[in-house]
Amino acid sequence: MPQAAFAQSKSINYWHTFTSQSEQAGLDEVMKLFAAAHPDISVTPENIPNPEFMAKITAAVVANTRPSVTMVSSERFRDLLAMGALSDMTDRIQSWERRADFADQRFDSITADGKIYGVPGFAFVDWMYYRKDWFEEAGIAVPTTLAEMYDAAVKLTDAGANRYGFGLRGGPGGQYTILNIMEAFGSPVLHEDGSTGLDRDKAIEGIKYFADMAKNAAPPSAPNDGFRQIIEGFQTGQTAMISHHTGSYQDIASKLKPGVEFGTMAIPAGPAKRVARLAYAYNSITKPEDADAAWEWIKFWGEPDAAVAFLEKTGYFPASTTAAQDERIGGNPMYAAASETLGFGIPQPSFPGAAGWAESTVLPAFQRVLIGEATPEQAVDEMIAGLAEATS
Amino acid sequence: MAPLSIQGVRKSFGSVEVLNNIDIELEDGGFLVLLGPSGCGKSTLLAIVAGLEPSSGGDVVIGDRNVNNVHPKDRNIAMVFQSYALYPTMSVKRNIGFGLEMRKVPEAEREAGVRKAAKLLQIEHLLERKPGQLSGGQRQRVAMGRAIVRDPDLFLFDEPLSNLDAKLRVEMRTEIKRLHDRLGTTTVYVTHDQIEAMTLGTKVAVMKNGVIQQFADPQTIYERPANMFVAGFIGTPTMNFLEGTLEQAEGGLVLRHAGGSLGLGGIEQEVGSFVRKPVVAGIRPETFTAAAGSASTLSGKVDVVEPTGPDTMVILDVGGQMMTARLGSRDRPRLGDPMTLGIDMRAVNLFDPQSGNRI
Amino acid sequence: MSRTSYSATSSAPLSVWDAINPVRMLGELSETRYWMYVLLLPSALLITAVVLYPTLYGMQMSFREMRLNRPDLGTDWVGSKHYARMLADPIFWVSLRNTAVWATSSIVLEFVIGLIAALALNRNLPGTKMLAVVILLPYFLPNVVAGHMWALMLDPRLGVINDVLVRLGWLDSYKAWFADPATAMAAAIVVETWHSFPFFTLLIMAGLKSIPSDLYKAADIDGAGPLAQLRLITLPMLKTIIAAAVILRVIGLVNSPDLLLILTSGGPGRSTQVLSLYAFQMAYKDFNFGYAGALSVVMFVLLMGFAYIYIRLAKVNQD
Repeated sequence: MPQAAFAQSKSINYWHTFTSQSEQAGLDEVMKLFAAAHPDISVTPENIPNPEFMAKITAAVVANTRPSVTMVSSERFRDLLAMGALSDMTDRIQSWERRADFADQRFDSITADGKIYGVPGFAFVDWMYYRKDWFEEAGIAVPTTLAEMYDAAVKLTDAGANRYGFGLRGGPGGQYTILNIMEAFGSPVLHEDGSTGLDRDKAIEGIKYFADMAKNAAPPSAPNDGFRQIIEGFQTGQTAMISHHTGSYQDIASKLKPGVEFGTMAIPAGPAKRVARLAYAYNSITKPEDADAAWEWIKFWGEPDAAVAFLEKTGYFPASTTAAQDERIGGNPMYAAASETLGFGIPQPSFPGAAGWAESTVLPAFQRVLIGEATPEQAVDEMIAGLAEATS
Repeated sequence: MAPLSIQGVRKSFGSVEVLNNIDIELEDGGFLVLLGPSGCGKSTLLAIVAGLEPSSGGDVVIGDRNVNNVHPKDRNIAMVFQSYALYPTMSVKRNIGFGLEMRKVPEAEREAGVRKAAKLLQIEHLLERKPGQLSGGQRQRVAMGRAIVRDPDLFLFDEPLSNLDAKLRVEMRTEIKRLHDRLGTTTVYVTHDQIEAMTLGTKVAVMKNGVIQQFADPQTIYERPANMFVAGFIGTPTMNFLEGTLEQAEGGLVLRHAGGSLGLGGIEQEVGSFVRKPVVAGIRPETFTAAAGSASTLSGKVDVVEPTGPDTMVILDVGGQMMTARLGSRDRPRLGDPMTLGIDMRAVNLFDPQSGNRI
Repeated sequence: MSRTSYSATSSAPLSVWDAINPVRMLGELSETRYWMYVLLLPSALLITAVVLYPTLYGMQMSFREMRLNRPDLGTDWVGSKHYARMLADPIFWVSLRNTAVWATSSIVLEFVIGLIAALALNRNLPGTKMLAVVILLPYFLPNVVAGHMWALMLDPRLGVINDVLVRLGWLDSYKAWFADPATAMAAAIVVETWHSFPFFTLLIMAGLKSIPSDLYKAADIDGAGPLAQLRLITLPMLKTIIAAAVILRVIGLVNSPDLLLILTSGGPGRSTQVLSLYAFQMAYKDFNFGYAGALSVVMFVLLMGFAYIYIRLAKVNQD
C-alpha cells in the first residue's frame, strides 16, 4: 500500500478550557514535548470557553461529533458520565507503567461504580494570594482563620482610595467559594453517606459572614466579578486578598513581585472546618474510535517533564506525586502553601445536578443578598429548595 | 394667477453648465411649453421655478414677487409630476386635499374643494380608493386634482403624459387644454413631445444643451424656425434640408443643388448677401405639391412610397439628397420613376449651413 | 417523461397492462387537480423534516421527564408537570417580566436610533458611504465578541467608559454597571442597542431607496415640513419593512441569551434573568430538558401571539 507511511499517523482533537495566556503557553509547551515524543500523533487543541462548555459537549455527544479527548473537571464528571460522554479506562490505567506515580485518591473524583473514566492531568490546589507589602505596612499577620481574614480585610479597606481587603468573586464561578464558606461554617452539601442537604443555620452563618465581607471589604463590583475581574483587581492593586488556585500564579507574578509585593497562603480555617479544594483536571477519552492515540496523549501529562514544564508556565500543580516531588517545586518557597494544602485539601462535592444547582441557584441567591434583594435566610431557603428540585 | 418672469437663470453642476442664461417672460394666464430632447435642461428649469432646485444665478419672479429665496410651499405653485407622485398610503381624497391639509384649511372647506376638483376631473367615484387601485389615466387625473384644488398662481407640469399609452395621452392632452381654457391659470409645461407643445402652448421655448433655441408662439416656431435644430425638431415627418449654393440666375435667385436648381421666387427672406455661398433650404413635406406646374420644382427618382391612409409619403432621390413629400392619398407614383414636384416657396426657409441659423 | 405523455395521449383501448402501468397512471394523475399535491410533496417533506419535526419534538419533550444527568428517572410522560411548576416558579415570572423589559426597551431604542441613522445616511452627502460602512460595523460583530468588548469597556477597574464619565465629571468614581441591579439591565440594553441598531439602519436604508424622490418634492410643494414628511410619507411607506424588522428583532431578542449570558449571566441576583437565558441554563447547566422544553414552548407561544397581534395592529396586510 502506498499509504503505508501515513497509516500510522493519527490525528486527534483535544477539548480544553484553558483561557489565560499562561495556560495557553503551558498547553503549547506540553504539545511541543508530546510532538517530539510522538511524531506519529498530531493533536489539535480546541478551546471551549467554560460558560459554553456544557452546551458544546452536550451537543457534541448528542450529534456524535465528539472530541477524541476532553478535559473533564471533577464537578462535571457526574453529568458527563450520565449523558454517556465518557469511556471506561480502568484496564488501560491499571496496566499503565506510571500508575504507581499517582496516589489512589487522585482517581476518586473520576471513578464511579469501580470504573475509572480519566487520568488527572494536573491539579487545582486552592490557595490565596495576599499583598505582602500592604500586610507588612499595616502590621497584620497572615490570617489562619476566616475570622482573622475578615478583620484583616476590613482593616485594609479604604473605599475612598479604591482599595479593598478582599476580592470577592460574586459573579460567574463564585458559586464554589460560596459552597466552601458554608462548608467551613459547618454545612457541607454532600455528606459522607452520599446524601445531600444543607444545614440551614450553619449555612446562614456562612452566608452572613460572606455577605458582611462583601459589604465591608469587597469592591462594589463584587456581584458581577468573575475570574478575570478578581485577578485584575488584585493585579491592579485594588484588592489585598483573593482566593483562587495555583493556576493563576504566573499571571499574578507577571504583574506583581513574588515574595515582595505578594505572597501565597493556605486557605484559612472556618469555625467548623478548613475547606480548601484539591481538584484535578482529568483527561478522558470521549471518542472510543480514537482511543489508542488518545491514551498516548492522556498518559503523556503524567510524565514529570511535561508536568513540571506545565507548572512552570502556569502554576498548576502536577497530579503525579513523583512529579510533585521534583526539586523545581520543593525548592520554591512560594509553593509552600500549595504543598501544605496537598495535606488537608478535600475534593469538590460531586453529584448529578451539583454544577447546575451551584450555578443557577446558589450563585443568584447569594447575589440577591449582595444587592439587598434577599436576606441570608431567604437565600439559604432558596438554595435548599433548589437542591431538592435538582436532586429529586 | 400671475405672470412669470425668468431672468438670466443659470445652473451648473461643478463645471458642467446645465442652464445658460435663460430669459423667459410669460404673460398672466399663458401656457409655456419647455420643449427639447432629454438632457436639454428643461426639467431642471422647471425644478428651479418650483424651488426644488437652487439656481446658480438669475431671478425667478412670480407675479411681482422675486421667489429666489422662497420655499416651494410658499411660492403658491402646484406641480404635476411624470410619476404623478401620489402618496401611496393615502386615499385619493386625502391626496388631493393634502396641500390644503398642510395649510390648515378647515375640514369643511377642504372637503368642498376636493369635491369640486374631483367633479371637474370626473373622479368623484374614486375618492375613497388608494392610488395603487387606480389606472394610469385615473392617477393622472388625481395628480391634476391635487394641483388645481389649491388654486395656485402657477401650474407646473413635468412631462405629465409620458407614462400613458398613446390613446390615453391624446385624451389627457385634450383634458389639460380644456382645464387651462377653463381655469386660465398660468402654466409651465415640460415635454419632449412636439405635438403636445404645438397643441397646448401659447408660448413654446425650444431648448438644447441648456440654451433656448427659440422662444415664440407655436405657429412661428413651426413656420419660421430660428435655426436648423428647431426646424428639424418640430414636425413629423421632419423638415427636408436641401443643400446647395445660392446663385443669381436670369429669372432671379436660384438654389443650385446636385440634382438641378430650385427657383427661389416668392421666398420671404432677404438673402442677397448669400449669393455664391452655400445655403440650406428647409422644406416641410407638406410644401410639396404633385402638380409640377408651379414656378419652383424639384425633380428626382421615386425611392420609397409609403401610403398612410390620408396621405402618401413619397421619398424622392434628388441628386443623392432624399426629400420626403406629403402628397394626396391618390398620388401613387411607381418606384424608380422620375418625378417632378412643385413647391410653395412662401413656406420655405433658408439657413446658413455654417451657423445653422435662419438667414 | 416522453413515454408518459405518449401513453396519456394514446387513444388505443386499455389493455390490462395499461390499467396497471405505473407510468401511465402517473401520467393520468398529472392531468388531475391532485397533481399539485404530488408536486408539493417534496417541499412538504423537507419542511416536515427540518421545521416541523424539531418543533414538535421540542414540544413533546416539554411533556416528558428528561434530565440528561438523571438517567434513573427515565423519560416518561409527565403531562403538564413542567407547566404547573412554571406557574409556581418565581424565577419564571421574573424572567418573563425581564424579557418584556429587555425586548421592548431594546426594540424601541434600536428602531429610533436605526431610523435616525438611516435618514442621515440617506442624504447622499459626501462621506456618507464611508460612514454607512462604519455605522454598520457593530452588526457584523458576533454577539460574543461585542459582549466581551463591552464588558471590558464598562469594566469597573479598566473600563474606558468609566474613565470618560469620571473625567467629564458625570461620575464621582468608577461604577460597576453590571453589579448594581439598578443599572445592570439598562447597561445591557445599551450594549444590545449598540450592537443591533444597524439592523434597522440597513433595512430602513433599503426601504428609503425605494421611496420615489418625487413624493418628497410633491410634499415640499404641498407644504409638508420634514416631520410631517417623516410621519405621513416615510414611515407609512416603510411600514412593511419596519414591521418585518421589528418581528425579526423581537424574535432575536427574546430567543438569544448570548449577550446577557456574557454580560451578567442573568445577575446580579435575577435582575437580568430572561426566559431564553433561563431555558438555556435549565438545559445546559441543570440538564433538565423537559423543563427547558416547556420554557421554550411558552416563549414560542408568546412570540406567535406577539407576531399575530402586531401584524394585525400594524395592518401590514392591508395594502
